[in-house]
Amino acid sequence: MYAPATGKGKPVEEEVITEENVFDRPDETIGFFPGQVLKDAYVSFFLLIACSVLSYVAPAPLSEPADTATIEYVPRPEWFFFFYEQMLMFFPGYALIAFGAVVVPTIFIVALFALPWLDRGPNFSSLRRPFTAVVGILIIVVVLLNMLLAVSRIINFPSGG
Amino acid sequence: MIGRLRSQTADASKFIVDWMEHRAGIVTAMEHFLYEPVPKRGAWLYTLGSAVLFLITLQFLTGILLLFYYVPTTDHAWNSVYYIMNDAYFGVLIRGIHYWSANFLMAVVGLHMAQVFFSGGYKAPRELNWIVGVVLLLLIIGLAFTGYLLRWDQDGFWASVVGIKIGSYSPFVGGYITHFLLGGDAVGPATLSRFFAIHVWLLPAAIAPFIGIHLYLLRRHGVFGSEFEYSERIAKMHEHQRLEEYARYELDEDEYDEDYDGDRHDGDGDGRGSRNGGR
Repeated sequence: MYAPATGKGKPVEEEVITEENVFDRPDETIGFFPGQVLKDAYVSFFLLIACSVLSYVAPAPLSEPADTATIEYVPRPEWFFFFYEQMLMFFPGYALIAFGAVVVPTIFIVALFALPWLDRGPNFSSLRRPFTAVVGILIIVVVLLNMLLAVSRIINFPSGG
Repeated sequence: MIGRLRSQTADASKFIVDWMEHRAGIVTAMEHFLYEPVPKRGAWLYTLGSAVLFLITLQFLTGILLLFYYVPTTDHAWNSVYYIMNDAYFGVLIRGIHYWSANFLMAVVGLHMAQVFFSGGYKAPRELNWIVGVVLLLLIIGLAFTGYLLRWDQDGFWASVVGIKIGSYSPFVGGYITHFLLGGDAVGPATLSRFFAIHVWLLPAAIAPFIGIHLYLLRRHGVFGSEFEYSERIAKMHEHQRLEEYARYELDEDEYDEDYDGDRHDGDGDGRGSRNGGR
């Protein structure tokens, strides 16, 4: 008798598919090795090559030694903190900066932790849970727009402003 | 001659494999890990997760190599990085890979998260793995933040000063956080030591077991790339549900007919009473 590779449940022909067991076994499977490992290796190899080439084309930056006495130096965060730095610009002054710098990110992180319980609907596909999908897209758009604003500000005021 | 050599080699390797299998269960474990069936259609989606793992591995390897040269003191930190970039064998490559794979890491982590978010991969029974993933994200952000100060140049130094200042705005705990990170009143030698300790020991030691848990939970519940891996089974499920629905309708009609059987309500108001009377 044919037994499924995962060893879960009944043979394919006899199985009655319900809400509970529909995600037990995918339609088509491949062995992790070599199929999946090979695809992972392609991507990893590409990343390694990219890192190696970039380390000579655009070497890791190293500016002047730190001088604790300078006052006018305008630091730039790394690009993945751009959106955060830009977001702080919308919370000016002592009263608001604590809110923008700490409270908003904390709420965001707590929401990330709570996400599986905030969205408990039975649907997996984004198309059939539009609210979650729209919230996710909005967050991504806000982050990207903030990054764009930060980049344009840096281009506009190279010496800081 | 060659044949005898070949058979001897085969015997020897068989002996080693058997020996290892008997002591450590190597072969069984390899079969279990390597030949696990995974969904075919999502294969390219899963490369995002494995790319993150690969980039973190690169971070560990190049980080260890950088430690051979790097000196975590305010006097020598910048000079040792300068030495790595100009004199050390493959120093440009080692530091370049560390720097660029860190940058790629942030981008690929974002893509990995977005993929899981939009495919609903965090839903039951995989909630715990999402939480472990968020912990890993926070640890990686911590690593990115602490790594910037270590080169002790103007950019890293002043960005860290600003970062610590932002942390000091935290309600209630701001002062404690700042004091913990600074090790004093201002960014100085103690700060560099602490950032170094956090960057090369605390956070990597914390990230390793969480990666282990992440992979264990991944294997426990199986990978979930998207619903399209299950589209045929979902179609079958809907088919089954529709048949059940029809069956229920037919059952309802039978019951209805039985109730209706024999008696007509011809307008005398109390249908039930008249029907009972008719029986």
